[in-house]
Order: sequence, then structure tokens, then C-alpha cells
Amino acid sequence: MIRETLSLAARDLKKWLRTPMQIVVTLITPLFWLLLFGQAFNLNKLAASAGPVDLRVVFGGAPTYFSFMAIGQLAVIIMFTTLFSGVGLIWDRRFGFLTKLQVAPISRAVIPLSRVASSVVRSMIQASVVLIIAISFSYIHGLNGLEFGQGFGVLELLGLIGILVLLAAGFSALFVSLGLAIKNQETLFGLINLLNLPLMFTSSALFPISLMPGWLASIAKYNPITFAVDGVRQLVFNTSLGSAHSIGIDVLGIAVFSSLMIAIGTTLSRRALMRA
Amino acid sequence: MVIDRSSANASRIPVVRVVNLEKVFDGRIHAVDKISFDVFEGEVFGFLGPNGAGKTTTISMLTTLTVPTSGSAEVLGLEVTDRPAEVRKVIGLVPQDLTVDDDLTGRENMELQATLYHVPAAVAKPRIDELLDLVGLTEPQDRYVKTYSGGMRKRLELAEGLIHRPRILFLDEPTLGLDVQTRASIWEHIRKLKSETNMTIFMTTHYLEEADSLCDRIAIIDHGKIVALESPENLKKAVGGDIIDLEFISCNESILDDIKGLPEVALIHGKCEGNRVKVRVPDSGVALPRILSMLFEKKIGIVSVSVRKPSLDQAFLEYTGKNLRDDEGGFDRAAAALQSRRRRG
Repeated sequence: MIRETLSLAARDLKKWLRTPMQIVVTLITPLFWLLLFGQAFNLNKLAASAGPVDLRVVFGGAPTYFSFMAIGQLAVIIMFTTLFSGVGLIWDRRFGFLTKLQVAPISRAVIPLSRVASSVVRSMIQASVVLIIAISFSYIHGLNGLEFGQGFGVLELLGLIGILVLLAAGFSALFVSLGLAIKNQETLFGLINLLNLPLMFTSSALFPISLMPGWLASIAKYNPITFAVDGVRQLVFNTSLGSAHSIGIDVLGIAVFSSLMIAIGTTLSRRALMRA
Repeated sequence: MVIDRSSANASRIPVVRVVNLEKVFDGRIHAVDKISFDVFEGEVFGFLGPNGAGKTTTISMLTTLTVPTSGSAEVLGLEVTDRPAEVRKVIGLVPQDLTVDDDLTGRENMELQATLYHVPAAVAKPRIDELLDLVGLTEPQDRYVKTYSGGMRKRLELAEGLIHRPRILFLDEPTLGLDVQTRASIWEHIRKLKSETNMTIFMTTHYLEEADSLCDRIAIIDHGKIVALESPENLKKAVGGDIIDLEFISCNESILDDIKGLPEVALIHGKCEGNRVKVRVPDSGVALPRILSMLFEKKIGIVSVSVRKPSLDQAFLEYTGKNLRDDEGGFDRAAAALQSRRRRG
């Protein structure tokens, strides 16, 4: 089962790598976000205008808004990459490739799992690009860069990777499940457009929970993106100042989300891949 | 329904056994209407019928892609609904739609297929070489499939279906939408397969000449029912002789009676249609001179005469009451739509 999953995931990634435009988009999109949004959208001043506050409390332990949003951007870019993980399934269905998989002696679960695997790899590549650009901004005069807290080391980096992989897997499984269930490209694209904005803005990815109105804050606390960025911020800035949950709850929340979505995806594949 | 009486089959064990198989869509469309048949080891078994006759639905049920509404279908003794996973291991399917991946090379497609069918890497390598050679794709194997012609894709598809050495190969419309030369080359590959291995082949087609030249036995399917099941030779024999088509300056009942009165003429098919009369005779070589000399004697003016030897075409007409070729325009449009749909991607 693992061999088939990996082979199909490799097929997916090969197709991705063989489209030069995709690579350009992969590299440019994070730059746009970090440069246009991260540098221009200066919440530092806004927060300070309310009186003398500790920015680190407002920004989940981050010393500046840019450092705060750079971590949020890791999750946002992962979400945007995984949004399209179900689209390939629809093309495979239209072009008959899915028939080949349906008639092959493989577990039905291999079909969504391979998509999740390739989507996780793609989103982690995207996230690495974000991280590298965010760090490199520190060395460019006139730009804010991502500043790590003291004591950020290999363990924290592994923790960061782990949390982001869980987030990517959860979102990939969610959108692969939608691709399995929906079958129609226009409907799926409509749904993707509908979902990405609320998913992003009901989380603490780009806007701190402490500045949200109460009703939004109470929703945002349980958004899977919030669990992920909240956990990663605590690792990166090495403090629990301004965090929504303890890091244990963050990891638990994101792990539950991810497992639930994968369970739904694999269960759905048994039904959705059988013609009535 | 023509009963299969060939005694050779009596002692053979069926590899596919279908009993009262039925598929109803939306509670009212009887795509497959309680059909029964056996397919024996090593034979090429053809499903011949127009579009929408139930051919693809039957193949989908036999290959575990569609759940039957009722009835039973066994593949090598395995009931398809109970043990789909085991059935998938022993069968190969070359579906109607192309399923090869355009963005991979021919060889990469084959390697992926080998993985999906659990062929160990060490076995897969020489086997892929051998299969690519069989279908004549050794040279372009490292090119992207999107650079392949329609015929090359179909041949790659055929090679993929053979990667795990299935005991039964299902071919759904293997030459749909292909040009005449490519069709001939696919036929050649199927014949080679038949002569070199003892693989059982189950194929569907709406091309009569395809069924005629490849199949050991043909089931004619129409409106979800099998209306005949015989060897191509017997199907043609059952049609009963040659057809003579006569065109008169003006046709009338007395001419019909005169022709009917001749001892060599077995049957009049139809009436005066326009000024044409169709006559069926056991042997046109004997009957035609008699008919013509009778007509000359009576000074009845003839415009044209044509003779048709029995073909599967006629057999089809006989059993289904319609001419398969009449529908072909529709099929080819469907095939063209399929092609353009792929190109868009």
C-alpha cells in the first residue's frame, strides 16, 4: 500500500515539477504576500496607538507584526497550496486515469492518501520558501524580517515542521475529500473560493486574536490554522506570551483535525470511488 | 436467440460465468437486462452492439467498477460483488477512455502500472521492455505521452493492461475513433496476443468487421439483451444466403409474384420499395441467371442488379431489426468529442 501511495504521489509531483509556471508561482507568491502585505500592513503602530502595550502580548510572542504575520503566512501558504489538492482528482476522473486506479488491485484509500502525500510535500516546499524569504528580509535595509526568539534550535525546528505537516495533511485531506465527493469542477472551484477567505480570517494567522471582536475571537480560537500558528509561534519566539492555547492543546488540536480529515477522506473514498 | 451448440464448449470450463445479470439506472433505465453467458478459457469473446446497448455497463460490472442491480457474475470462480479485490488481481482492463497520463513518458506510465499491480521491480523491468516491444513503442518510450498519436496511446494502453499477465483481458471498444491503419495495427496486436498466449479476451465493439476478424464467438447485444450468441461463421450462416437487389423501371405486384414463383428463390424480403425489390436466395450464382432470363422473357425492364454475400452486417440487421452502420455517424461524433476533450487538457 505504501509503495503504491508513494508512486502515485511521485506522479503528482512529477507533473507539478514539469510545469515551469508552477515553480515560478511557487516562488513568487510568498514574496508578494510577505513584501506587499507583511511590510505595508503595519499593525505595530495601530497597536501602539491604543496606549503603551507590550507588542509581544498582542502579537503572540512576536516582537513585530512582520514576525507575527510571517509565521501566519506559513499556514496561509499551506492552505492556499492544499486548496487545489482535490482538483487533480477531478481531472483524473474526466480523463479516465481514475478508472485505471479503480480497476487496479489497490486499496481505495491509496487514491486520496497519495494526493494528500503529494500535497503535503508541495505545501512544505512553499512554506520553506516563505520561511527563507522572511528570514532574508532581516538582511535587507529598510525591511522588517522574521526575528527568532532566543533558544530556537533543532528541536524547535522539528516541532515547527511537525505541526505544519499536520496542518498540511489535514487541509489536503479536507480538499481531497471535497474533490472526491463533488466531481464537478465548477462547483469545486466555487467552494474553494468560498472557503479560503473565512478560513484565513477566522484564524490568528494574519490578525491577532486579542484585537478581534469577541464573537470572532471565540470562533478563531478553534480554527485549525490558529492551533497551528499558535503552536509554531510559541516554538519560534520561545514564549507563551499572548498565546491562545498552551502548546500541548495546540498540538493536540491540530493532530485531531488532521486525523479526522484523513479518516473522512479514506472513508469517503470507498463510497465515492464506486459507481452506483 | 441462437443457442450455442458447439460441443467443444461443453467440456470446457468457463472463466467468466454470467447468470441473469441486470443493471438498472435510476430505477427505470434497464442498461443490462438479465443477460446470461459463459466465456471459455483462451477464446476471444465479443460483445457487439450499438451505442447504449449495455456493452460498457456489462464490462464495468465484470471488472468490479459498477455494482450489478441483480444476478450473478463470476470471474474465474470469484463473484465480482463479493470479492472485487481478488477479481481485480486476475483481470486486465483497457477501458474505452484513454487512461494513460499525458504528462508522464510512456515508460513512466508502464512503471506506475507495474506498481499498481504489485509487479516486483526486478520483474517489471524486463516485462516492460517486452511489452513495449510487443506494441512497437520501444523507440518512443522516453517521450511524453502528450506527444503520442491516438494510436500510440491506445497501444500503450494495451501494454499497460498486460503488465500483470492477467488471465482475462477486457477490451472496451479497443479501436474507437482510430483511423483505419491504426485499427488494423491494434487488431494485429490482439491477434498476436491470442496466438502467443492463452489469454482469454473479452471485448466490446460496434465495428462489425472488428468482431468478425477477431472474435471466436460474438454476442449481439441490443437494448440490454443478448439477441444472438454464435461464432461469426454461424451468425452469417443463420442469415441464410445471398441477397439480390433488383431495380425495375416500374415495380408491381405481378413482378413480385413471378419472382416468388421461381424454385431457386427462397424468400422475398419486403415489398416494392420505390422500384426496388430485395430477394434472398441460397445461392445467387444459380438464382440470378434464372431471375434475369425470366424477366427478359416477360420483357420487364431492369435498371440495375446487385448481389450481396452474407455479412455480419446482415446478421446484425436480422437480429436487431436495424442497421448498425446507420448509427455510426453518432458514434464517431462521440469519439471525436472524446478526442477534443483530451486535447483541451
